[in-house]
Amino acid sequence: MAAPCVSCGRVVSYRLFLGGRVILAQRQGLWKTAAAELQKGAGSQILRLRHTTPVMTKKKIAASRHETYTEDFIKKQIEEFNIGKRHLANMMGEDPETFTQEDIDRAITYLFPSGLFEKRARPVMKHPEQIFPKQRAIQWGEDGRPFHFLFYTGKPSYYSLMHEVYGKLLHIEKRQDQLRARGPLPEKSEASRDLIGSRWLIKEELEEMLVEKLSDQDYTQFIRLLERLLTMPCNTAEEEFVQRFRRSVTIQSKKQLIEPVQYDERGMAFSRSEGKRKTATAEAVVYGQGSGRISINGTDYLLYFPVMQDREQLMFPFHFLDRLGKHDVTCTVSGGGRSAQAGAIRLAVSKALCSFVTEDEVEWMRQAGLLTTDPRVRERKKPGQEGARRKFTWKKR
Amino acid sequence: MGTVLKLPGVCTAGTPGRPKLLPKSRAFPFARVGGKGPGVTARITQVRWSRYGPEYRDPQVDKEHYRKSVDELTEEERYDQELKKTQLIKAAPASRTSSVFEDPLISKFTNMMMKGGNKVLARSLITQTLEAVKRKQFEKYRAASAEERANIERNPYTIFHQALKNCEPVIGLVPILKGGHFYQVPVPLADRRRRFLAMKWMITECRENKHRRTLMPEKLSNELLEAFHNQGPVIKRKHNMHKMAEANRALAHYRWW
Repeated sequence: MAAPCVSCGRVVSYRLFLGGRVILAQRQGLWKTAAAELQKGAGSQILRLRHTTPVMTKKKIAASRHETYTEDFIKKQIEEFNIGKRHLANMMGEDPETFTQEDIDRAITYLFPSGLFEKRARPVMKHPEQIFPKQRAIQWGEDGRPFHFLFYTGKPSYYSLMHEVYGKLLHIEKRQDQLRARGPLPEKSEASRDLIGSRWLIKEELEEMLVEKLSDQDYTQFIRLLERLLTMPCNTAEEEFVQRFRRSVTIQSKKQLIEPVQYDERGMAFSRSEGKRKTATAEAVVYGQGSGRISINGTDYLLYFPVMQDREQLMFPFHFLDRLGKHDVTCTVSGGGRSAQAGAIRLAVSKALCSFVTEDEVEWMRQAGLLTTDPRVRERKKPGQEGARRKFTWKKR
Repeated sequence: MGTVLKLPGVCTAGTPGRPKLLPKSRAFPFARVGGKGPGVTARITQVRWSRYGPEYRDPQVDKEHYRKSVDELTEEERYDQELKKTQLIKAAPASRTSSVFEDPLISKFTNMMMKGGNKVLARSLITQTLEAVKRKQFEKYRAASAEERANIERNPYTIFHQALKNCEPVIGLVPILKGGHFYQVPVPLADRRRRFLAMKWMITECRENKHRRTLMPEKLSNELLEAFHNQGPVIKRKHNMHKMAEANRALAHYRWW
């Protein structure tokens, strides 16, 4: 009889699934090999018993290729996770009520130190929602008929969403026609929508929302339809509907850390910051009052940078803010070459000048590219090539 | 892992740069198919990639652009200004400043003159060229009479710009493969291609057709002045190109774009 070995096989597989409170991130690979072994061993008997309803076993369902997590299973995982979280908090001597995910991560890295380079291979304890990919509930009933009328399109949620949006579009057009039939349209100025502070959600986010794989064309069609909806006068319900598909975008200038102005023994205001370019690092101290003297590593800038281009780079932030002769700079720089050192000092000086200048001017400096660290570094040489890009001479034979 | 946010393109662990999406061009798409076994979908390794992600915008270095008050801007400019606040900006390159003396055409020309990364030498040659042009024009000015003086242009930058504009070809030839033979088909050139050709011809001319003892600034200043007056070997080359295009005009229908 296949039943006893099937049940023990099931227990074994479940023990593999629920491998303790600490869940390794590479479980899915583990599962696949275990499931494959079991299947090879006991034949198609196991397939039948792993599904919830007997009807499904009659058809070869594509869903069986993905791991089907039943709802009970997920609930159990969540309970176990919460209990495990409390135990972990007790172990670490912290309050179980206010134990956040960051605390969990810290505790796990402390208790299970891992020397692996790949971050995704290290031990991880996260909420089951983040570990098990979201899967759809079974979409057909006991008689095998699907619930959703668009099931056979393959992407029921996507197409139903498109239908919904198009329905709203038609509804608005009908409303416009009715208003126009009553009399001439009153010129209503639209309230300016915050189109700048938000962006459309990207394809991956939409896929996550619908739990379906989409193609690029599907995504662009959807966004085009939403934009068409936005061109028409919408009421608040429709606006809210559209806002569901927009994500806010940060204002970049707020991210810039402005160094506070410090005062030295003589009462002079100064500001210190650092800058990097390629392998050069510079630290600049910009004084509030001065006459435009710049000293680098103890020497004057004219002697340190004999090339005009480097001196222009030093002048750039001051010239941009119209403060050419008004500040004194003392800086130290090391590493890199001539141009890299000039770039590093330019960045350090710009950052230091932020403290003496208004917020608007900081934003202008950012838009002029003065406050961004240049990420370009020397590209490594690859094996089988002469340099980073140059290949060896091609010989026919 | 279907729900993980995946960045487009291939990113190996050691290179955190972003692969650039290649623009649609006639040229052969310069991408390499990574070697994989059969049964696995081949992924195309992007070759032209940049350390900046695709969301980064180019910096606007011009000082006057920011000094404009809010009333002077149009609706579009105001929208652009608001939009820029949310965008990431690249770092300004080392060759760009907010100086009034900076000229993008001169910078491009300097880079094209540069050999082996020796920007110092290239820049000094250009400054000496412009100085030589100015000196020659001033001598001519001093030697000329009052009526002629009005026609003599002394600003070396205007001479440079006008000379290169005079050297730009209007139409170019492109080899097109048809029936096993390459035919030279006349084709209208884009603006950037025309500027590039003018500068390239000027530099090649000055490097090759000069006496061993003449220095580059002297030769280049002579060529620029000749081109300014629509004479000289570079203008001749441009006219040759136009004549060949005219001769091959029967093949113009081979062009499909």
